[in-house]
Amino acid sequence: MATKTATSDVIPWDKIDMLLRHRTGRVLLAAITALLVYVVLSGTGIGPEETSTRIILSMVVGCLLWAHLVYGAWLVKRELQGLFVIWGVVTVVFFLRFLTPGDPTIALTPPDASTDVREQLARRLGLDEPLYVQYADYIWNLVTLDMGRSLRTQVPVMDLILIRLPATIELAVAATLVAMVIAIPLGVISARRRHKPADYSATLFSLVGISTPNFWLGIMLILYVAVTVDFLPTGGRSIGFAAAWGGLLMEGDFDGISRWFAQLILPAITLGTFFTALLTRLTRSGMLEEIGKAYFKACQAKGLPETIILYKHVLRNTLIPIITVLGLQLGTLIGGAVITEFVFAWPGLGRFLINSIHSRDWMVIQGIIIIIGIGFVVINIAVDAAYAYLDPRVELR
Amino acid sequence: MTDESQSTGRRSFLKFAGVAAGGAVSATLAGCIGDDDEEPTPTPTPTPTDPEALLREFDGELPDDPSREELLQHANGLSNERAPWIFLHQQFSIYGVSDEVEWTAREDEDINAWDMSSDLDEITITQGTFPTALAPHNHNDTPTHNVVDHVYDQLLYRDEEGRLIENIATDWRRIDDTTVEFDIRDGVMFHSGNEMQLSDVAYGINRARTHEDSSVIGVIGAIDEAYVEGDALRIDLEIVEPAIFRNLAAFGRVMEEEWTEARSIGDLNAGEMNGTGPYELHEYLDGTRVVFTKFDDYWGEEPDIEQVTFNHAPEEGTRIDRLLTGESHLVVNVDPGDISEVEEADGVRIEDVASIRSIFIVMNDHFEPFDNVYFRQAMNFAVDVEAIIDTQLAGAGNVTSQPTLPGHFGHNPDVEPYPYDPDRADSLIEESGHVGEEITIHTTTGRYLRDTDIADAVAGQINELDNVSAEAEFRDTDEMFAETLDGEQDTSPEIFLIGWGNPTFDANYTMSPWFDDPVFTHYNDEEIVDLLRQANQTPEE
Repeated sequence: MATKTATSDVIPWDKIDMLLRHRTGRVLLAAITALLVYVVLSGTGIGPEETSTRIILSMVVGCLLWAHLVYGAWLVKRELQGLFVIWGVVTVVFFLRFLTPGDPTIALTPPDASTDVREQLARRLGLDEPLYVQYADYIWNLVTLDMGRSLRTQVPVMDLILIRLPATIELAVAATLVAMVIAIPLGVISARRRHKPADYSATLFSLVGISTPNFWLGIMLILYVAVTVDFLPTGGRSIGFAAAWGGLLMEGDFDGISRWFAQLILPAITLGTFFTALLTRLTRSGMLEEIGKAYFKACQAKGLPETIILYKHVLRNTLIPIITVLGLQLGTLIGGAVITEFVFAWPGLGRFLINSIHSRDWMVIQGIIIIIGIGFVVINIAVDAAYAYLDPRVELR
Repeated sequence: MTDESQSTGRRSFLKFAGVAAGGAVSATLAGCIGDDDEEPTPTPTPTPTDPEALLREFDGELPDDPSREELLQHANGLSNERAPWIFLHQQFSIYGVSDEVEWTAREDEDINAWDMSSDLDEITITQGTFPTALAPHNHNDTPTHNVVDHVYDQLLYRDEEGRLIENIATDWRRIDDTTVEFDIRDGVMFHSGNEMQLSDVAYGINRARTHEDSSVIGVIGAIDEAYVEGDALRIDLEIVEPAIFRNLAAFGRVMEEEWTEARSIGDLNAGEMNGTGPYELHEYLDGTRVVFTKFDDYWGEEPDIEQVTFNHAPEEGTRIDRLLTGESHLVVNVDPGDISEVEEADGVRIEDVASIRSIFIVMNDHFEPFDNVYFRQAMNFAVDVEAIIDTQLAGAGNVTSQPTLPGHFGHNPDVEPYPYDPDRADSLIEESGHVGEEITIHTTTGRYLRDTDIADAVAGQINELDNVSAEAEFRDTDEMFAETLDGEQDTSPEIFLIGWGNPTFDANYTMSPWFDDPVFTHYNDEEIVDLLRQANQTPEE
């Protein structure tokens, strides 16, 4: 009892509790933690070597802490459910490989390699062990954050994925942003100007957008914007997010950030166009439904400006289905936008996954699918949290 | 052996949409064939009453004490007569090159920045695929060779015509049937700063032959051991291995023993490179780019270009766009349909050359009717390869007559390609007793230049015969390879299109796998096998 009293005296729990109940306090604590993590990483040399990557990692830790402070037990519960889902994904993927035709040792050896050489390779890779042993090994390694090594190159799978994941996330987020920035205002205008030229134009845009194959759009954008006008690069990813933003923040280098932005525009438009069209239609129909409700007329009767009614009240009520679709779509994009990556030579996970499937590199395939699974779980949790934020009637339990 | 996938140009497809559809192409081709202007010179068709005379015969004779070259030439002649494949064409390598870069395409498909000259300090080379590995022996595909070659020197090398030239080895000789010896260049430095020792050269060769991650164990040759003997490098062979010097020019690379042993294969593939080549690694970003800069202590002539970046764009149209915008200075695998666009553009040009790759259709003799030589020859007479080359490849191809390409050791210059003669094909089919057969030609998809269109065109031409029908089936490339290369002839497709590159310029590299190997063989002929085995026991003169 004496110890408890002493601790209470030293640490002002009541003040901390008050601080954490306040929105600004939580943000402040998360920011301080992120700063501390950065200082520790820089001081000890643990973790990533690049300053910009350390900054990103510190920010992620800060955000996670903030999310836990805000959502508390609910988030922990969802994380545990997420872990269960990921375990399911890992298990299904692991056993699926034994139902899939194609022996990895054939893909990994020269065509004229002897059976002895292939058996030797199978032994070295542990492919000759009983299935349950391979499974147990794999799960244990995953727990220790070891996804194994690529069967093809023997490079750690985690490294291979971490090189490509930022490219995938960049493209997915950029495409989603393109879609949101264009689609939501367009949907709102379309709903408000129903059966007027603006509405017809927006509907036509949606129809064209949904009907346009993105490989064609990508090639056309390259041909006319990159080749004919010579305004943007034809593809590739010459600089990453961390290097570009790190360069800007640490050294004031604008060249890196402008290259980063330029390389992202065409792939993001290509990938985002279908999504834009879909969201426009969704926003329009949602808005139309809400506009028909009594509160809209009440707001009008109160004399509120229409822009405020539409964007502050009606749009907010329309956002729930939009957020749902956004989440699902973003999750799909984390899995890779193979065709867009192909056309723009974008070094993302999608094409890497396809190449790994071709070479039967199961360690890489499993690793990527787990990352996709984690992506879906994280996004779903974020979407649920967004529901509660947008609609106070939704309770997170 | 392998090459990067080459896709049909989407750019061409978009531009000529509706024209290039596979079926339409076949129909067009068939239509062209019937045109008087297009019809090739007819060859006299023997009467069906003389079945023996219908068959094409190889009349070459083997001398009493044949040399290795004569043995291989005879085997090639017999291959033409026995028709294990439908002989199609020698594929061309087609590059788009910036006028700012002086470079001539090589027959062996190598792209060497040290052979280029330019006023530019930095150039970018865009291939279709990213290197599959950086460890010098952990791959056997052309795009990876092209990257790795800049760092890791081969023991010997080839000139543009495929003749052996000195490299790390300055002289070479055969001591006896199973021993070869090399004089090694002095004063060669590794990028690590250490001087190359003879033992390093031996280590590189032994590693290629024995290391568990080597992808060239089966193709470098039957090397027992490489070791230092006095001032020279000596290699003991398990058999005569006549093509050993050519094999070493393709796969025998130098590695620093101590440096390499301190690293895992994963380290080497993750971007640690140390060779004696003209360029050293400057930056490696997996899946994105490999950047090399000139190695100051290189033993040979100093390269003209300071920095070379290799990147990749799997889509052919994107590669062309990169060339046209100046983002790349050399791009590979230009689709024949896009040649004119590059030729008409300013500041860029096309470089093309007959490659080391031949494209052919394997007829699996485990199945009827392909166990019948009348039928197999009929398939060859039924296909107008020249028309296919003109229509599908814009003329970028040479008709082949035998497994070995012209200019390669063992090629038989006296053997002519099969002429297009559908009447003779009909007669041969009558004679084979397989009238009414329905054939399905399996083909890779995007693996070789226009592979699906070519298979479709071949099927269309065979379909034009009176007494047999054919269609093409597009297969997932890896699935088809897995099916054909599992060593089980009875589970392979009955007839399939495939390509084969020969970086050694020696007939054996193509013929032994396809006629005397448990994995590849789909045609069994004791006489040809005997000739090949005899050739492999006969040292080159």
